[in-house]
Amino acid sequence: MASGIANIGKIPELRRRIFFTLAMLAIYRIGVFVTVPMVDRGVMRKLMAASSGSFLGLFNMFSGGALEQLSIFALGIMPYVSASIILQLLTSVVPKLAELRKEGETGYRKINQMTRYGTVILSFVQSLGIAYYLEGLNSTSTFGSVVSEPGWIPFRILTMITLTTGTAFIMWLGEQITERGIGNGISLIIFAGIVSGLPDALVSMGRQANVGEMTPINVLFIICVLIGVIAAIVFFERGQRRIPIQHAKRMVGRKIYGGHSTFLPLRVNQSGVIPPIFASTLLMFPSTIANFTGWTWLNNLLNYGDWKYNTVYALLIIFFCYFYTAITFQPADVADNLKKQGAFIPGIRPGKRTAEYIDKVLNRITFGGAMYVALVCVLPTLMIAKMNVPFYLGGTSMMIVVGVALDTAQQIESHLITRHYDGFTGPKGARIRGRKARA
Amino acid sequence: MAIHHPKTGIRQRLSRAIDAARGRAVVYDLSPWERLLPAIEAHHVETGLENCTNEELQSRAAALRSRSGSFDLDVRFLIEGAALVREACSRALRLRHYDVQLVAGLAMAQGNLVEMQTGEGKTLVAVIPAVLRALQGKGAHVLTFNDYLATRDAVWMGPAYELLGLTVGIVCQGMSADERRAAYKADVTYATAREVGYDLLRQSLIVDLSQAVLRPFHFAVVDEADSVLIDEARVPLVIAGGQDEDFEGHDRTDLARLTNGLLPSKHFHIDDGARTVSFTEEGFDYIERALGCGPLQNEAGRPLMTGLNQALHAKALLRRNVDYIVRDGVIEIVDEFTGRVAQGRRWPHGLHCAVEAKEGVPAQPQGCVLNSIAIPHLIRLYPHLCGMTGTALPADDELALLYGLTTVVIPPNLPCIRLDLDDVLFTHKQAKHGAVVAEVISAHRASRPVLIGTASVEESELYALLLRKAGVDCQVLNAANDAVEAAIIAEAGASGAVTVATNMAGRGTDIKLGGSDGVGRDAVIDAGGLYVIGTSRFESRRIDNQLRGRSGRQGDPGMSRFFLSLEDDLMVRYSLAEWIPAAVRELRRDSPIDDPTVTEKLSVVQRKIEGESCKIRRTLWEYASLVESQRCAWQEEREHVLAGQRRGLLEEHCNDKWNDCRASIAESVLFEVEHRLTLYFMDRAWSDHLLAIEDIREGIHLSSLGGKVPLLEFRKAAFEAFDDMRQSVDEQIVAAFERAEITPSGINDSKEGLLRPTSTWTYLVDDSPFEWLGAISSMANIGLGIAAGLWWPLFVVKALWDKRRKR
Repeated sequence: MASGIANIGKIPELRRRIFFTLAMLAIYRIGVFVTVPMVDRGVMRKLMAASSGSFLGLFNMFSGGALEQLSIFALGIMPYVSASIILQLLTSVVPKLAELRKEGETGYRKINQMTRYGTVILSFVQSLGIAYYLEGLNSTSTFGSVVSEPGWIPFRILTMITLTTGTAFIMWLGEQITERGIGNGISLIIFAGIVSGLPDALVSMGRQANVGEMTPINVLFIICVLIGVIAAIVFFERGQRRIPIQHAKRMVGRKIYGGHSTFLPLRVNQSGVIPPIFASTLLMFPSTIANFTGWTWLNNLLNYGDWKYNTVYALLIIFFCYFYTAITFQPADVADNLKKQGAFIPGIRPGKRTAEYIDKVLNRITFGGAMYVALVCVLPTLMIAKMNVPFYLGGTSMMIVVGVALDTAQQIESHLITRHYDGFTGPKGARIRGRKARA
Repeated sequence: MAIHHPKTGIRQRLSRAIDAARGRAVVYDLSPWERLLPAIEAHHVETGLENCTNEELQSRAAALRSRSGSFDLDVRFLIEGAALVREACSRALRLRHYDVQLVAGLAMAQGNLVEMQTGEGKTLVAVIPAVLRALQGKGAHVLTFNDYLATRDAVWMGPAYELLGLTVGIVCQGMSADERRAAYKADVTYATAREVGYDLLRQSLIVDLSQAVLRPFHFAVVDEADSVLIDEARVPLVIAGGQDEDFEGHDRTDLARLTNGLLPSKHFHIDDGARTVSFTEEGFDYIERALGCGPLQNEAGRPLMTGLNQALHAKALLRRNVDYIVRDGVIEIVDEFTGRVAQGRRWPHGLHCAVEAKEGVPAQPQGCVLNSIAIPHLIRLYPHLCGMTGTALPADDELALLYGLTTVVIPPNLPCIRLDLDDVLFTHKQAKHGAVVAEVISAHRASRPVLIGTASVEESELYALLLRKAGVDCQVLNAANDAVEAAIIAEAGASGAVTVATNMAGRGTDIKLGGSDGVGRDAVIDAGGLYVIGTSRFESRRIDNQLRGRSGRQGDPGMSRFFLSLEDDLMVRYSLAEWIPAAVRELRRDSPIDDPTVTEKLSVVQRKIEGESCKIRRTLWEYASLVESQRCAWQEEREHVLAGQRRGLLEEHCNDKWNDCRASIAESVLFEVEHRLTLYFMDRAWSDHLLAIEDIREGIHLSSLGGKVPLLEFRKAAFEAFDDMRQSVDEQIVAAFERAEITPSGINDSKEGLLRPTSTWTYLVDDSPFEWLGAISSMANIGLGIAAGLWWPLFVVKALWDKRRKR
């Protein structure tokens, strides 16, 4: 590993890409601290502190604290992600878009263009929502008014333009990273948003320990759990069930190499971080509705952190694990693809029976995967409730952070691989496995 | 003096401006080279080029040669060189470069790709960059489209080179190594890219430096660049040798007979625009019963399944007289793009044998693949490159991306006045046939020459039959009778001539109006010139345009029109018939559909197909590039060994035996032994490595299901395989040395089983049947966005709610 890091420095291309990525992320972070005009940041921060743990808190986390800062990047990258999802869903519904996608390079360019337009439209709508929201705070705020001059002109219009421009700029940054840097720019920006909250969280934990709200043993315990959770995430995210595959389209004559064994990798956690996000979004509905309507009984039904909440949370996660796997992984398609490739699973007839087999295996491992996700997500929630641990260390954000980190590491690794093939006759000399030169 | 593009309306200018703004690699502005024209003229006059003797011309060229040491060509050099070439050509060939030709030549010398209409004298233009670069003394290659053109152009242009004191070489199929070496030593070498590639592959197997024929590559002019660089990109060159791979299992003839009895959609299923075929459940049952064997998909069933899959592929997807022809008991593949028999091309991995079994012809030896290179990679080995073609534009993006070539569009010397009529679309093939025949008859009566471009050998025979029935005498030109090609083309422009051809009569054929002697030229021009009729659109617009381009050359009049039907292959494959409602289809059995948008829609479809194939090529390119970098690394290592560089491997690892031997045997003999062992095992390991890579590539797309990027996984696996190979080579060398009996005369190859393949042969491998599209995509990160999408309405809802409550 250490030598791997040393190698990064040796490859100019890779070095350039990594520096570029870091520079772009730095620009993004600087922008987060620029406040929208006509808004009082001090008041806002106090308000935010009062409402941590709600869905605003979650949103705030994904935008790397930009909402709390009321920054020009308050919308974050999310409108872009939403737009691309909407477009992706539309491609499966609207035949014209599906055709466009098939047109290759030009089609992709057009779809990309549409995604960008969609981002701008979504940003306008969302920023209007935020403008209204901020104005609404004026009446409820006990710390003084947040917005100095409410009304369409100039506040709402200005906010819409500022926030939309901010999102468009982040989108551009993300694309630049994908193109010239390393890793997927969009995920890296989300990643940076979450990670940026970590130091704060650690500092506040330290302060709590200092003040005596937390015992050193508790702190130690939290750190141990944290490391354990990360290890579990890494372990499970890379976990696969490998179904062996035989290809029968080429005649292989000499069997010296015995063939690189091919397999169908079924992931333990096929659905990634989606189930917890879906589940927590859904769980926020009751409290949000309760806030709007003033029905307190609804709010009392599921209290954040109590055993009822956690049970429902875990069950929802398990449900969404199955649900999302069923949506994204179609055993029939996979079986069909294998058949067209002239490939088969030994002992199983191509076609329907292969699909049934894959489905069976998938169902079994998804059970394990769902258990893992539920556990990783509920455990920290318990901790948050019991020990006042900051929200940043929750299971969902950990899964995102670890996931993006693994992906990026994989990309860096592949760049390392394409390094110059050093000479056979070069300084390294002969390569003999497990053989020592005889004196 | 200024050269203008013929159609410079506001719209064209606007679209060009947009192209430029988008950074498209197309240049319409010729001024950088035009600016040199007066200087060339002035140089011509000032130095009295016109009046100097041939000897003086030669000495001036020699003077220029001594100045051209540097890598880049300076402007002064360009000017003087171009003036010299122009003078030499007008003296030796009686052909003086037009201004546009000079501009094209200069653009090419600076490494661009020029698009020139057909018949604008590309052969003559190529002389300019060839001479300018050849003067640098490192050789210049002119890569022509086929062997015939290599010889023709070299012989034709030869006198001009000789006048400038430059030597010319020709490389053709069937030449000996000595002849090739001499040809490559010449200043300018005419050859096909294929032959150069084969020489490179052969050179990768030599055991002694004296066997080398090639010099290091310096500069290449690629003729018909889009065809060589794009269409042929999918067809790797292969050198094979040694014994045939032995298959265990069933006789291919039996399997062919068995699959022949299967019924479509009952026993097997054709899919994906007729690119893949697979057995159905019922098909499997039928086969198991017929063969009397157990379940086919058991562990040991792979060879049998492979045989069956290939037999089915041969039966269902490869059609005789369309995809291949059978001539003299040999299967010959017909190239999809050129309509010609692809000399020495084979389908890989036993599929070819399956086709041989299907047709009942004797199997040709296949051997195992010793080395391979794809033409695009070969071309990229040239440090300097330029190209020319008649149809670069639809592919300019790809050419820029893969080869860094900028397309320069050169207007024709005389504007093209060919009429391209709108397509005529019929619902049924029958009606189309009738209309084509009627159209030919009416043109024939007006003594106008007609060229009918068909899609396959089969179709060309069909039209010939129909025309003959209608009393029109016609010539047929297709892959099956390519021997008489030159004779047919020579007379295709004669008054009233009717020629039915496949797209063989596309690229590189020059149809002269009035026939070979040009006697009836005026009459033909009065009749309206050559009339080109296309009987179906091809998958690429470039091929359509090549067919059209046979007519209206060098400002001649001409006309072109395509007759299509909803039953054409292209229409069926992409199910375009649905455009027209079924009721209308029935009503319009005989008359054409007069829908002006049809042509436009068809172009959209073609663009889409081009986009898809471009994507496939890019994917293939990305995969192949990695293997190519390994090949280069391996080749470099081999060259070090070949050059006698020693690594002391045996002294280090077989110290005892080495010392023992040294007591009785001369050191030089031992070195020779080490040298031979190293080369032998390196070559064998590479051949095995290629197999291993194929294996990896076949299954790697499945990794996307595991949330991995297949290309990255491939890199990783390929790299590991390469590392393994290097390690095993050293182990094998050491083991072989320990085992071998070393005598004072060296090592006995046959006794130690170190025989190199006694005969090697080269062929192209048509990989397209094995393309996979990595169709499975994983959607790992999407949900994050869906969730985000769920959040934002909450904001709006809340905002609206708050507002209402306030009221």
